[in-house]
Amino acid sequence: MEVTVTQENLSFALSNASRVASSKAGLPILSNILLRTDGSRLLVAATNLEVASSHKIGAKVIKPGSLTVPAKLLSDFLQNLPKGQITLTTNGAKLHIKADTSSSTINGVDDEEFPELPVIDDKKAVSYSIASDDFKQSVAQTVIAASSDSTRPILTGVYWHSFENNLYLAATDGYRLTERRIVDTASDVIAVIPTTTLQEVIRTLRDDTSEVEILFDETQVTFRLAEVEITSRLIDGNFPDYRQLIPATSDSSFTINRSELMRTIKIASLFARESGGGITLTLDTDAAKLTIHSIASEVGENSSEVNVTSTGVSASVSLNSRYLIDALNAVTSNEVNFGFSGKLAPCVLTEAVKDPVYKHIIMPLKS
Amino acid sequence: MSQSLWQSVLGEIEVSVSHATFMTWFKNTELLENTNDSVTIAVPNIFAQRQFEVKFNDQIKSILEKNGVTPSSINYIVKTNQKRQSTSRETTRSAPITSAADRLVAPIKTKVITNGLNPRYTFKNFIVGSSNDLAYSACQAVAKNPGSKYNPLFLYGGVGLGKTHLIQAVGNEITTRDPDTTVLYISSETFVNDFLESIRFKKKGFADKYRNVDVLIVDDMQFIAGKEKTQEEFFHTFNALHQTNKQIIISSDKPPRNIPTLTERLRSRFEWGMSIDIQMPDFETRCAILEAKAAASSAEIDRATVEYLANSIKTNIRELEGALNQLLAYSEMRGVPADIAMAEGLIGNVRRTRPQHLTSKQIIDRTAKHFQLTSAEICSAKRDKHIVTPRQIAMYLLRSELHLSFPKIAQELGRKDHTTAIHSVEKIEKAVKLDVLIREQVAELREKLYV
Repeated sequence: MEVTVTQENLSFALSNASRVASSKAGLPILSNILLRTDGSRLLVAATNLEVASSHKIGAKVIKPGSLTVPAKLLSDFLQNLPKGQITLTTNGAKLHIKADTSSSTINGVDDEEFPELPVIDDKKAVSYSIASDDFKQSVAQTVIAASSDSTRPILTGVYWHSFENNLYLAATDGYRLTERRIVDTASDVIAVIPTTTLQEVIRTLRDDTSEVEILFDETQVTFRLAEVEITSRLIDGNFPDYRQLIPATSDSSFTINRSELMRTIKIASLFARESGGGITLTLDTDAAKLTIHSIASEVGENSSEVNVTSTGVSASVSLNSRYLIDALNAVTSNEVNFGFSGKLAPCVLTEAVKDPVYKHIIMPLKS
Repeated sequence: MSQSLWQSVLGEIEVSVSHATFMTWFKNTELLENTNDSVTIAVPNIFAQRQFEVKFNDQIKSILEKNGVTPSSINYIVKTNQKRQSTSRETTRSAPITSAADRLVAPIKTKVITNGLNPRYTFKNFIVGSSNDLAYSACQAVAKNPGSKYNPLFLYGGVGLGKTHLIQAVGNEITTRDPDTTVLYISSETFVNDFLESIRFKKKGFADKYRNVDVLIVDDMQFIAGKEKTQEEFFHTFNALHQTNKQIIISSDKPPRNIPTLTERLRSRFEWGMSIDIQMPDFETRCAILEAKAAASSAEIDRATVEYLANSIKTNIRELEGALNQLLAYSEMRGVPADIAMAEGLIGNVRRTRPQHLTSKQIIDRTAKHFQLTSAEICSAKRDKHIVTPRQIAMYLLRSELHLSFPKIAQELGRKDHTTAIHSVEKIEKAVKLDVLIREQVAELREKLYV
């Protein structure tokens, strides 16, 4: 193999692929990166048998061929090279890298042992094109609620599904739940995508990529971002029927400026560390006031009052302030709406608009 | 039929590829269908599917042909454990879960498979004797009412006395009584490793794993000593569980106050519930253990041999079982029933690992050293309290370990009157049963003598 590529392209591809390459899997070759010529391009790929990341970068191919080399070493090496042209040549299982001023040789392994990369059948798959800003936002808004408890794998992913002609994303860890509506859809999709895969896609997504193409089949999902393709397995199992848990109406609700609420809750959370982040919101609908109270027996206590637009009955509820801060960070609008029904029913935070696309549900603390 | 066919394919492939390759790709595969012209093989994921299609297809095909199966095509499908759910909108569950729990989704109770318990350890096959009956009853009480009776339950005792057996029996009993209870059995080393990993790789889920259980059983707690950050984490885990009335069971080779570098707040918490020691088993218990073990492996062994074994190995049940297993294996191999002569020949090997001859001088010296006295002081005529008790313990040990006569004991310690020795031995015998402090010291000394 003999190819010439630019440092920028190769370095970008390597830094993404090397994140996927795993060092602790049973198969040693999985910590390597595959370099293979593909027409007039160079394929850079890695996999950990959960997710595979492959990049095709423009190259001047002088002699086709392929080789695998240790991912971390190659990636670190490339990162520190100056910008400009790089020539890669193979000699047996050795990779020679020649840059402007330096040249080096890395011992590789024949690509025969490298796992075949899964391919998705475009014809059979259900596909979507989503604007990358929309995709980024939707994923970021939902993954925060995904669980990290490996004893329930199904909750460690984000649930992509079609419902009443819309594509929805949902995630929950049992204490909170997020739901985001993305696009209209005519086809049926049901898939639970691992959180790690989604985070990988977000990290790989460059600012200049305008659209993300997503293809689903029964067992796998592929994300196409310009020259990058990320394929992942789906999580097996049935996602809980969460929709019945979202309260349709709330007994009490208020609307407030998001940053004002955030500021007040951050203050209250300072006094809530001892009680596991618990703060109490008390809504007085007659005076249109919200009181946020937190107490730490050893440190002191805090109580703040803000004016709100409120409806329903006066009531109070205790919540984990960390969850509330996460939720407020995820919402994008200036005004937010918060609804709750007594001390035990789930609370709903949404953007203060008609028919909001994003819902964030938090379970109250028992107190 | 198809299963044995696939077995033979796997067997042949296993020898032709590396172990890592085999484990990565061929684990969890199976032959689903074998009709005349096509074979369907289930693989665990999409990566394996592709790998089989491209890399292993030819090899599998040729092995199948060798076994007389000549399919025109081999299909590889990804086998999912569950049927994928349908898009149906009807809500099957009628009762709303919202009001019932403070969690959005009721946690699925993880099944026995992941709880780390060995089903072999049960209360039924635990031999109870005077040395461990208190511990046994406490464990049974906990198994009946986890979280409410003795919490935490702290068991301590020397190596091979049955701590692990007892605490695992509690876990097994609880899961049989109520399969929905989540029991987690771990060694303290696992806890330390998980904790380190969670820090190093910024992994989440550590707290979830340990704080969402109903019963937490930690074996060999002493290894947490000196690891301050881990102790702090365990302290928080402990509090979280204890506050919600979850049962905690801990075993260690020393009582909490004797574990060096255990932080004060953990120590006080460990002593909070019930801490019980397991003593070395007495002669009768040892005999009972041997007989039960022999019966379990359906071998017959005569009373004299049992007594000989029980007499030869006193301090460690694991060694006792080892000797028995050795004896049984030997008798099976030779085809003759086990007898004393055979046992004598074999036990020789076991016993050599311990000092063969314990002398009275060694006992006196070690006892003196243990109490930071000199042998001369112990043997002197002084009657200070801090010398008298050690002296009495030395006499007790001379009697119990060497079976010396009372006049001889008195003589060894420079006493004239053998009634002094009788009195001392009786006094310590009683104290061992009543006084924890004396019991621990005697146990510790015995350990030292036989090291």
